[in-house]
Amino acid sequence: MVLDVTAKNLDEKDPKKQLLFSDQKVWWEIGKDLHGRMRYGAWQIKEIVDLTLQPMETRKERFLMNFDTDIETVEIEVKLSYFISGKKGDVIHSEKKTFEYDFD
Amino acid sequence: MNVKQVFSVTLALLLTLFFGAANLSAAEKQAETIDELVAMFDNSKCMECHEETHSEWKGSWHSRAVISSLKGMHNFIAIGLAKEWDTPLTKAQVMKCLDCHAPTVKYASEKLAVDIGNMIVTAHKMKGTKKGDAAKKELAKLNVGCLSCHNIKAGAVARGLHGEPTPGMIYGPTGADAEDGHETEELVDITRASFCMQCHGKYKAADGETIQCNTLSGSYQNTYIAQGGSQTCQDCHMKKGHTFPGGHDLDIVTEGLGLQVEIIPYGHLPGTLKKKLKEEKKWIPSAVVNVFVENKTGHRVPDG
Repeated sequence: MVLDVTAKNLDEKDPKKQLLFSDQKVWWEIGKDLHGRMRYGAWQIKEIVDLTLQPMETRKERFLMNFDTDIETVEIEVKLSYFISGKKGDVIHSEKKTFEYDFD
Repeated sequence: MNVKQVFSVTLALLLTLFFGAANLSAAEKQAETIDELVAMFDNSKCMECHEETHSEWKGSWHSRAVISSLKGMHNFIAIGLAKEWDTPLTKAQVMKCLDCHAPTVKYASEKLAVDIGNMIVTAHKMKGTKKGDAAKKELAKLNVGCLSCHNIKAGAVARGLHGEPTPGMIYGPTGADAEDGHETEELVDITRASFCMQCHGKYKAADGETIQCNTLSGSYQNTYIAQGGSQTCQDCHMKKGHTFPGGHDLDIVTEGLGLQVEIIPYGHLPGTLKKKLKEEKKWIPSAVVNVFVENKTGHRVPDG
């Protein structure tokens, strides 16, 4: 499960240069064999390091972002994706907000 | 004892021996081919009366529990057994996968079980070739079928109490009369989380080997139940009947996870950041984003 937080400068026309901020939080597990080596095979895994989100748990994540002084229009997007495998992920929930800074 | 009495006693003993052996052979009959195994636990018979349930099951991952997991099982056989453990492929080893992925294989002969193990390797290794696809087609006949849960595994959580399943008996939550369809017996075990946990948790093979395909039941028991949770696996994962929605079903994943977002734009005090800015004396456009991610399920996420 992956939480992505991004902020984009909407005044920038080139999409490649729009990104102002990005951060990611990942919930998963590490399977280890008896020698403490990371493994994927179910027959190899004897212990785990549990980095998942536990049942009935609400995790609070806080992101602080400071942009440059000439930034005026920003779009912040938060996406929660669930990966059924390492290759296939789906966005489960997302929220987007656009706002303008005007300090004059 | 006269001749008549001796004859009666002898006849009774012979009948006991005969029917006892017949029952034993029915319970311990071992299939020599996949088709024979499929016929012994024929799901299509269930469809005649339970069409909707059968159709739900057909769309579930249980119906393709072997062919959807070929890579993992291939790795166990071709890498785990063959290379890491240097251990021959036997039915006991194959059952470490198939006791859950195709419980009917319990009733396969040693040779058939080993053949199935080799077919798994072929189906994965030679994927896209005539031989690989033929092996996969055969393996598609094996799955977690109706009788896997409603007979073979039904009483397995309390085998000491229930004993081995009666051949042909359908164990269910109500024991409702199926008239001429089949014999039915009520077994509440099938409604309990512990029933699903036989496979959806850390599995212990007959020789004691632990297999961690997933550890859902660990977090269910140790965290969810420990915090006062009371829902069973079936309460959520049978909301769509025998389709058993899980991680592949976006509706249930969406339902199980909550996201709350607070975005707070503000102006940061000029001259207070180490970061190089275009104009040091101007207010710095900034934002705080608070995100609350909630796991509303009865087990850890991700898992399964």
